[in-house]
Amino acid sequence: MTRPVRDADTLRVIDFGRASALRSQTLWHAVAHGVSSGEPPTLSFVRPAEPYVCLGYHRRLDEVDRAYCAEEGLPIYRRMVGGGPVYLDSGQLFFQICLPARSVSPARTAALRDLLSPALSAYRAAGVEAELDGNMEITVGESKICGHGAGQVEEAVVVCGNLIERFDHERATSILWLPNPTMRAEVLRMMRRFVNATPADPEQFKHAAVAAYADALGLTPEASDLTPLEWAAVEALDEQFTSESWIAGPHGRPRPPVREVKIRAGVWVFAAEHEDARVVASVVGDSVDRAQFRTSTPYDGLSAAEAAMAGVTLSKAPAVLAGFGSTGRRLAAAFAAADGKSL
Amino acid sequence: MTNAHTTGHEILVEVSGYPVAVDRMYHADSHMWVKRLTPGTVRVGLDALGVETSGTLAQLSFVAVGDELARGRAFGQLEAAKFVGPLVSPVSGTVSRTNDAVVTDPGVAEHDPYGEGWLVELTSADETELADLLGTPEAITEWFGRTVEDYRLRGVIAE
Repeated sequence: MTRPVRDADTLRVIDFGRASALRSQTLWHAVAHGVSSGEPPTLSFVRPAEPYVCLGYHRRLDEVDRAYCAEEGLPIYRRMVGGGPVYLDSGQLFFQICLPARSVSPARTAALRDLLSPALSAYRAAGVEAELDGNMEITVGESKICGHGAGQVEEAVVVCGNLIERFDHERATSILWLPNPTMRAEVLRMMRRFVNATPADPEQFKHAAVAAYADALGLTPEASDLTPLEWAAVEALDEQFTSESWIAGPHGRPRPPVREVKIRAGVWVFAAEHEDARVVASVVGDSVDRAQFRTSTPYDGLSAAEAAMAGVTLSKAPAVLAGFGSTGRRLAAAFAAADGKSL
Repeated sequence: MTNAHTTGHEILVEVSGYPVAVDRMYHADSHMWVKRLTPGTVRVGLDALGVETSGTLAQLSFVAVGDELARGRAFGQLEAAKFVGPLVSPVSGTVSRTNDAVVTDPGVAEHDPYGEGWLVELTSADETELADLLGTPEAITEWFGRTVEDYRLRGVIAE
């Protein structure tokens, strides 16, 4: 049995083991409330016992295919940290580092870098040659290997990530509401290319993460458990996170006219249309990776237009498509509607 | 401090490379500005350092109109770099209006923080709390310049 700790030089380490889908969220949110109230910085681990879908705080519920989730028995929860809708299951081990807000950089990017960097040592100790790239993604090659998010809960900052031992690309795509099968296939293709599992020993990963975060923060790790107040917070959060109003989310942006899906930082897929011209395209950096066009008016040049767009920067898309007559101009207008701002 | 000038609605000066509107009050810790609109009614927004340290704004959301706020409580949330954090109210009051334009396009708050990028308006703003804010051009520019210098020394923002 572990005991609660309060030493100022202590890094509390709490391994929640396997937890229900709901508790795999509410347990660490309760830790944030505890740290906000004066509990020591805390590194926690949790593995969801069952699959579910989780939305970033601001994301629209209609980004998720709720009919698919209901059919598959996947609950949908909303977290207090950022990022998009994601599919989680027992093939992913989640870690959360939580500190008093006053102890992290006021600059969010710097805070994120400071609190993600120790995780790199953990991946490497587990045999995964991970890097933190310029887009603040933990990667191996061009693949994102860790889904992260961050947030401030009262007076505590928490950064979350995961060791993806297995990743179900099909389900991760299926939980998203997408307007047509072409976009679904393209999202799946890009997800397979840019999001990947790194099978590794989770115990080795956890052990190394504890050492790395303790070292980076100058703290002494000590196995612990939630305090009675934190357990009370868990129960309150269980109620909050299952309430319709919380799952519906805050009053935020109106639904964008173009469906855009971020695969990883700098990689996204969109579906847009203008009059009878329909576009599904994937973008890497600022260049088109693949464009797929449909028009209800027959046009023999569609395949040539698709081929011409590969590798073209978004800013030059109108000029390239202008070479394809009035159809090209309609396709260009569809392209112009996608700006990545909804991501 | 250099280059004081008036834009459409605000009087801006440049302090250590950042624009600062000196026709309003500031809450140092939250990097929020407060501008009186009518007696008892104020407009609130992020200052240029608050924008800079947030990074590229991805999402903004606000509490509902009619909600009563205590000083130091969140009147909304800001997301940048997948990091969600509270927008902290610099004074107590009742939310009377929120800026839909910045919800639809958070970039407005980034590019015009003292003008079109305002966040919320409060009525019944607490006069005692307003008196606690930085309220003279001298105090504002001295605080802002000192904070920029501190942030640069600590590597919080670039030189």
